[in-house]
Amino acid sequence: MLTITNLQASVEGKEILKGINLTIGKGEIHAIMGPNGSGKSTLASVLAGREDYEITGGTVTFQDEDLLEMSPEDRAREGVFLAFQYPVEIPGVSNTNFLKAAVNEVRKHRGLAPMEPKAFLNMMREKMALVEMDQAMVSRSVNEGFSGGEKKRNEIFQMAMLEPKLSILDETDSGLDIDALKIVANGVNKLRSKETSTIVITHYQRLLDYIVPDFVHVLYKGRIVKSGGKDLALELEAKGYDWIKELAQEEVTA
Amino acid sequence: MSEVLSLQEKLVKEFIRMEAMLNGQAQAPVHAIRKQAMTRFTELGFPTIRHEEWKYTNIMPVVKNDYAFNVHNTSTVTKSDIEPFLLPDVEANILVFVNGSFAADLSTIISPKGVEVMPLAEAFKKKATVVEKHFAKYALWQNDAMLALNTAFALNGAYIEIASGAVVEEPFHLLFVNDSRAQSTFAPVRNLVLVGANAEATIVESAHTLASGENYGFTNIVSEVVLADNAHLNHYKVQQDVEQSYFVGALHAEQAGTSVLNTVVVTLSGGIVRNNLSAVLAGKGADTHFYGLYLVNGKTLVDNHTLADHAVAHCTSNELYKGIMDDRSTGVFNGKIMVRPDAQKTLAYQSNRNILMSPNATVNTKPQLEIFADDVKCSHGCTSGQLDDESVFYLRARGLDKEQARALLLYAFAGEITEKIQLEPLRERLESIIAERLHQELVS
Repeated sequence: MLTITNLQASVEGKEILKGINLTIGKGEIHAIMGPNGSGKSTLASVLAGREDYEITGGTVTFQDEDLLEMSPEDRAREGVFLAFQYPVEIPGVSNTNFLKAAVNEVRKHRGLAPMEPKAFLNMMREKMALVEMDQAMVSRSVNEGFSGGEKKRNEIFQMAMLEPKLSILDETDSGLDIDALKIVANGVNKLRSKETSTIVITHYQRLLDYIVPDFVHVLYKGRIVKSGGKDLALELEAKGYDWIKELAQEEVTA
Repeated sequence: MSEVLSLQEKLVKEFIRMEAMLNGQAQAPVHAIRKQAMTRFTELGFPTIRHEEWKYTNIMPVVKNDYAFNVHNTSTVTKSDIEPFLLPDVEANILVFVNGSFAADLSTIISPKGVEVMPLAEAFKKKATVVEKHFAKYALWQNDAMLALNTAFALNGAYIEIASGAVVEEPFHLLFVNDSRAQSTFAPVRNLVLVGANAEATIVESAHTLASGENYGFTNIVSEVVLADNAHLNHYKVQQDVEQSYFVGALHAEQAGTSVLNTVVVTLSGGIVRNNLSAVLAGKGADTHFYGLYLVNGKTLVDNHTLADHAVAHCTSNELYKGIMDDRSTGVFNGKIMVRPDAQKTLAYQSNRNILMSPNATVNTKPQLEIFADDVKCSHGCTSGQLDDESVFYLRARGLDKEQARALLLYAFAGEITEKIQLEPLRERLESIIAERLHQELVS
């Protein structure tokens, strides 16, 4: 699904990603953990195509295509979805109209006709239930006046509507209380399939109790310094990140 | 400087010529006001950029041009000329004025119950007492040269009187055509609108210049609007004129207790466009709304000067003007809130927000608050900037391309103003023009 090879990226001349190697297969869930400032969100942004970052080296292949050559919209149309850490409020654009435009763009890209209004509404209703969103929320302007939890639920709702192949959840758990966290995780789990893959970026292990990863990677200072199974997350929770930092230090000096 | 005097001199001569045509009307009290206004105009002269209220709006091009005056022939304009300016699918009272004169052939007055609607020229005679009571009482010309000029040449325009309690469903479309095809023409227009107690009405004002070659039309429209107790008036001004148009217009309203005035000014094109708007909140509980959208490109200059004048307690004013400026266009916003000593418990809000699409577009925005009461809530704010990159990225990350994303955001930005238009066919028409424009501009 996704192959990242020696990916290096910088922002304003400062190197953030210093050679990331990661392979994500179909149907897998990978968690990327790490202390603040390790480059987790940068990795998510680079994959989604945010233009503030300069790619200084490496390659990213998504379904046998060069992802880095694609515009952000083409990545979305090809099936990459980023659930934003800080979803943007867009006054004056209703969730419904926004999603209609987005869904139809994705369909157009896949050679499909725009959805019939009725079919679209039915799909909305079905996906709303996944994240327990009500009609009032969907009718409102995109994220405007939404609480932190509502914004994150709206991200997962959009994900459900767009049916991506690769979803990247950028600290979707941050700022959520346990109830909201469960709703969001439940939504993600229901959308899981053998055909789709997920990258869960998080600082805390808590989310991984509900979205159980197949692999856990620890990012530190722009590199993946340790990879393992779901137990690695528990180990990090118990021991904190200091031993990782020491580990990375040893590798550098060795 | 001599050129400035020359247009002024011509206006003095034209005034004398106009007086000669008034016959018996020259003895009317209204004409005494015209004469005073003319004298005052000659004292004040055309405003220059040294004048605080005209600092960013240089009307020298307007003043330097040569015009035909007192053109009362309305037959040069045909039905097919005005066809594009009409609101489709709306049953309306349509009053068409050509170069300031009423064009009966082009107008449709369906005169619903409780409404007296006629050209102002007729009202000067038929409704002399009422007109004398209100004429030039709200558009205070004593220190405003352009108002003085309009008052001096106030011969015609629309007179609308809505009886107490009348709820008029059909809007009034005041359609002003400046026919400058044969020669540049000065077209002054004066309207008087009286909305009775508990009455409700909707007015649409639009001015259109028919120009050719190097000819420029100069249109000067002033409306005085009086709202009695609990009257409701929606006033929409649509400005989509040609480049060869100079427009200086004003709406001056006075509102009695619990009356509601809802104004929306939408400017889409033109040469120089200056709009003055004021409402005196003279009765307790009066409520006024000023909304404006200017979506301009090329070298268009749009200047909006507004005044919410809180004279008594418990009134509300709410103002939002938004601009999307492209190319070398210039925007000016000057919003004044006056809270007089008796106006306790005033709620007054003002906001001006601009998006600059081009590095050559400029906006000059100035809020002015003068508050002489202590128990009030007033706020103002202004922003000018580009479209938010993060919002564009958010939309692109969902599959919309860059142009679509920008168009959607700008459309939503403008939509906050167009949604204030309650006359649905007008709102829909403007929204589709705006969508089309944004699409074209962003793709080109």
